[in-house]
Amino acid sequence: MTSRHLLQLDHVGHAFDEGRIVALKDINLDFDEGESAAILGASGSGKTTLILIMCGIRTPTRGVLRWKGQPITTLRQWTDLRRTEIGIVFQDFNLFSTLTAAENVEVAMFGSSAGTAERKRRVEAALGTVGLADRATHLPQELSGGERQRVAIARSIINDPKLILADEPTGNLDSKNAMAILDLLFDLQKARGSTLVMVSHAPDQARRCARQVNMKDGEVINENAPVAREEAL
Amino acid sequence: MNHLELAYRNLKRRRARSILTILGVAFAVGSFITLYGLSRSVHENVERSFDEHGTDLTVKRRGIAEPFGGTIPEELIPEIAKIPGVEDVAGQLLTFAATDNDDNVLASGWSPDSFYWTTAPLKAGRLPNPDESRVALIGSEIARTLDKKIGDDVTLLGEKFKIVGLTDFHSIINRNQVIVKLADLQELTFRTGAVTFLSIKLKNPGDEAEADRVSQAIEALDKLTASPSEGMLRNDSLFGLLTAVSTSMAWVALFMGVLMVLNTLLMAVLERTREIGILSAIGWSKERIMLALIIEGFILSAFGALVGIALGMAGSKFLSAIPAIGRYVAVEPTVPLIAVTAFAAMVLGILGSFYPAWVATRASPAAALERA
Repeated sequence: MTSRHLLQLDHVGHAFDEGRIVALKDINLDFDEGESAAILGASGSGKTTLILIMCGIRTPTRGVLRWKGQPITTLRQWTDLRRTEIGIVFQDFNLFSTLTAAENVEVAMFGSSAGTAERKRRVEAALGTVGLADRATHLPQELSGGERQRVAIARSIINDPKLILADEPTGNLDSKNAMAILDLLFDLQKARGSTLVMVSHAPDQARRCARQVNMKDGEVINENAPVAREEAL
Repeated sequence: MNHLELAYRNLKRRRARSILTILGVAFAVGSFITLYGLSRSVHENVERSFDEHGTDLTVKRRGIAEPFGGTIPEELIPEIAKIPGVEDVAGQLLTFAATDNDDNVLASGWSPDSFYWTTAPLKAGRLPNPDESRVALIGSEIARTLDKKIGDDVTLLGEKFKIVGLTDFHSIINRNQVIVKLADLQELTFRTGAVTFLSIKLKNPGDEAEADRVSQAIEALDKLTASPSEGMLRNDSLFGLLTAVSTSMAWVALFMGVLMVLNTLLMAVLERTREIGILSAIGWSKERIMLALIIEGFILSAFGALVGIALGMAGSKFLSAIPAIGRYVAVEPTVPLIAVTAFAAMVLGILGSFYPAWVATRASPAAALERA
């Protein structure tokens, strides 16, 4: 079965502590190829849990997720998707402190069929795309916060994914760097035609996405109607 | 970059932890090689010292547990010489004897007609004349230690012996031996007419059936036991104790080393739970993550084994350089001992990484990523 939707969430829910804490309630969302969407909400609204479920890092306690119409039911399927189709950008970068910028990017290519020369070429290209060609041999601790997030973005696009999930990608950056990282993410999304789903609690950032999904207490309260910043915070 | 390079870079950039883990493996391997090598070398050196004289069977007093405690009457020598299959018999009196500066040396008394004299490799000087007394051959190693040369006197049990020859045996025990006339040593030790061991040369040394027949004939004579040199320490309680102590220490060192290494590998993996979560988040399978961690464990243990071999060799040299040990035992770890220990260390590294890697990859990626 094929679908025009890239990723679908059907009645997805998630509870912690043997069901005592409900983080997500009956989420029904579809994300299409090439679209950009922001998931908005205050702390504890369930947006990070949602994005972790959308990449299989967290397993929902109810509901089904479908990739291009096919239900994703095993961890192995999710692992394969994260290796080939889904790129993830975290708020706190999640880089390996022992690896250089280039190695941090290349490490996401393990398991791909690309040879050494091809890998090198693609790593250089990815770092060039994020404007870090000259910082390839630097360790993360030798880079600024903005540069680290650029490395994380380069890592997320190295396998040319269809879907990029960004969990508050500017959360640890100053406003200038935050703006630059957002510009980069949207430029990449447009240039590559990939789907970008970004978690944020900043409505001004969310407005840059074609679609906004507002969450509260584990539920989608509305779409395409960004809440006021004060309310989100 | 492949898995091996990735592991190498990770280890290289966590230098302190990698070095400490390597040292942990190295100390376990080195201690085991040294201490187990010591226990094996005791036996090998004693065997070698008898073999060097062409001894096929060694006869000692049955039931005496200490090596030099038993005595055999000399008058048994002609009787044993008559046993079919026996080529020659030599009596030897052995004792640790006080020498200059409160030191002790291994003194050996040989009868004038002993075939031992024909096996003594003279480096310098001459053999004692039949009518001489209070003369000695001195081993090259003990001569160096005591700073003695031909023409000097060496004191044994308060009596001076003139050094007339310098021997150059291969075995460390023989190189540290002072050889005197049997009668002289019997007189000084109040053991007139007695020897400690009898060394038997067989007519057909390769004939095991004949060796068994000769052994049985000797053991039927009196309260004696006859065995090839490799078996003569089997029932010796002193050597048994030494072997038990050194072997126990070797195993204790190994056990402690293994625990330390397993703990280090466990900690090394568990402290990287978040990294494992990141790998999972970027699409690494559990098997791939485990492989990466096991490769790191293997590299650490392989380097540890190499350093451990060097430490083991150095430790063996060190033990051999301690006079109380080195005069009688050249601690020489064998190639099989080194190979087996190093191989075991590498297997341990793999197995030791496997368990924490398995535990770490069982955790959900989300839980791993939430680790601070």
